Amino acid sequence: MNLFPVDWDVLRVSFLVAGTATVLCVLIGTPLAWAIARTRRVIVHLLTAAALLPLVLPPTAVGYYLLQLLGRQSPVGRFLEAELGLRLVFTWPGMAIAAAVVALPLFVRTAVAGFEQLEPAALEAASVLVGPVRRFFSVALPLAWPSVTAASLLAFARALGEFGATTIVGANIPGRTEMLSGAIYTAVLAGDDALANSLAGLSLVLGLTVLVALSLLLAQVRRNAP
Amino acid sequence: MMSESSTLDVRVRKRYPGFELDVAFTASRGITVLFGRSGSGKSLTLRLIAGLERPDTGRIVIAGTPVVDTERRLWVPPYRRPIGVVFQQPGLLPHLSVGDNILFGLRLPRDEARRRLEEVLTLLGLSGMERRSPRTLSGGEQQRVALARALVRRPPLLLLDEPFSALDQNLRRSLREELRRITGDLGLAVVFVTHSLPEAHLLADSLVVVERGRILQMGEAAETFRRPSTPHVARLLGWVNLWPAVAVHRDGPETVVDLGGRRLLVRGGAQPTPPGGRVVVGIRSERVIVHRGEASPAPNQFEARLTELLRYGSTATLRLRPPEGDLLLEVELGARALEVLRVGERDSWIVELPPEDLHLMPAET
Repeated sequence: MNLFPVDWDVLRVSFLVAGTATVLCVLIGTPLAWAIARTRRVIVHLLTAAALLPLVLPPTAVGYYLLQLLGRQSPVGRFLEAELGLRLVFTWPGMAIAAAVVALPLFVRTAVAGFEQLEPAALEAASVLVGPVRRFFSVALPLAWPSVTAASLLAFARALGEFGATTIVGANIPGRTEMLSGAIYTAVLAGDDALANSLAGLSLVLGLTVLVALSLLLAQVRRNAP
Repeated sequence: MMSESSTLDVRVRKRYPGFELDVAFTASRGITVLFGRSGSGKSLTLRLIAGLERPDTGRIVIAGTPVVDTERRLWVPPYRRPIGVVFQQPGLLPHLSVGDNILFGLRLPRDEARRRLEEVLTLLGLSGMERRSPRTLSGGEQQRVALARALVRRPPLLLLDEPFSALDQNLRRSLREELRRITGDLGLAVVFVTHSLPEAHLLADSLVVVERGRILQMGEAAETFRRPSTPHVARLLGWVNLWPAVAVHRDGPETVVDLGGRRLLVRGGAQPTPPGGRVVVGIRSERVIVHRGEASPAPNQFEARLTELLRYGSTATLRLRPPEGDLLLEVELGARALEVLRVGERDSWIVELPPEDLHLMPAET
């Protein structure tokens, strides 16, 4: 028996999708979380609801909406393909977007909690000294980096484990858009228990690794806290 | 209206549910204390000047430059205003060194920044600390760094919101003295918010008394402490000897008032009170003279019995009551006076209320 029967393409696609999704979460989720943590206006509730919505939707519904939005039948999809030569449906970048949407609530919730813990006195003092952009980059980010890092780790783990949304957008094409989650599904359907076992075991190890890293990070942060 | 010499000219209004702030005042070189109880609106006023809150209507001019003018829809954000601000909490950035905290956000050539840093470090007794982390500093040192950070920009106006109230007694005292020295040396205009009467006494060149979002009285500090415009302001400023009376006779600067049969001569004071008018007459408890011996026919002398003696560290408060009438008098004495008078040994005293220390105010309605 092959001890490591995992197709390298599956791993490659899995890490490409989860890594890219994490980057998207950081780029979109960090400013969003900062805005949510700082704003007192009503709009904050709308932002929060929008960011958390994928948490309560079936991932397949997220996938379906993305398919509608990014496919050839939609103006967005046509524009992306005609003007930028970017095809998102049935490709790994499309799956990364799907995974990012699903992982975003976890990222935003964790990052907001971090931004909300910043000392108000320090932020207030900074607001008299520098403008909002420098306040974000030179004060909020350096002080809240443990939370943002924790949020990124969680988002990565979540994206790695995503199945519904990514499968609908990527169609689980072997060698091209097949992730670990999809490969497990295929193996189970094919009755290949040995393969399903190795793949699920690998997922378990990856997930555990990320969570242990997270726990170590948080312990480190607590030790350094004043 | 703005006088040429004022560094700050404020006229703002801001409404909240159940509270409205409506204040107008100017501040020039020296320390202007905004004094009031918590919730009076003094901190809000400071935050409006700093730009941390927006007024509903109004205009704020700092060093000749308008920073808020609701009519012209002008609003300058806090970090573009020519101000330095220090709050109750130092609010230092824990990920930066003391030096980087002080220079944070300051755009200057390297040499100039270095020079300015040295300058404020020396000024505030922080030399040699610029590489340290704020976490390793004591509360007083942190607040000094916050002050250095405000001063390094050389603003014409310094805004201080109860900056020393989180510190212990001794530290508070030395920092107040340092602040007096520094503002004097630099010729700064300072707006200092406090609810502490001793602090207001010690620091104020000008005093603005704020309550419920309104200015009750403002003016030169010593004069305001000596001549409150109403009994209410007097109480806020620590007066306890305030008695309703009726004006009996007026002759030039002298007024004779009647307190339930007892006549008192009041000298000076701006309030002309027609005979028969109801007034409140008051005297600060540290201005009352107490001695042994016989009452002379001199004005405003009478006998009183000691009813209570309250010791507060080095000072004491005596409560005295004349044999007839319901007048109650509080007198503040230092430790030395207590010893010399041997206050504990007798309970009958002669009290003298110097006519020039008595002060007339309109009766309370």
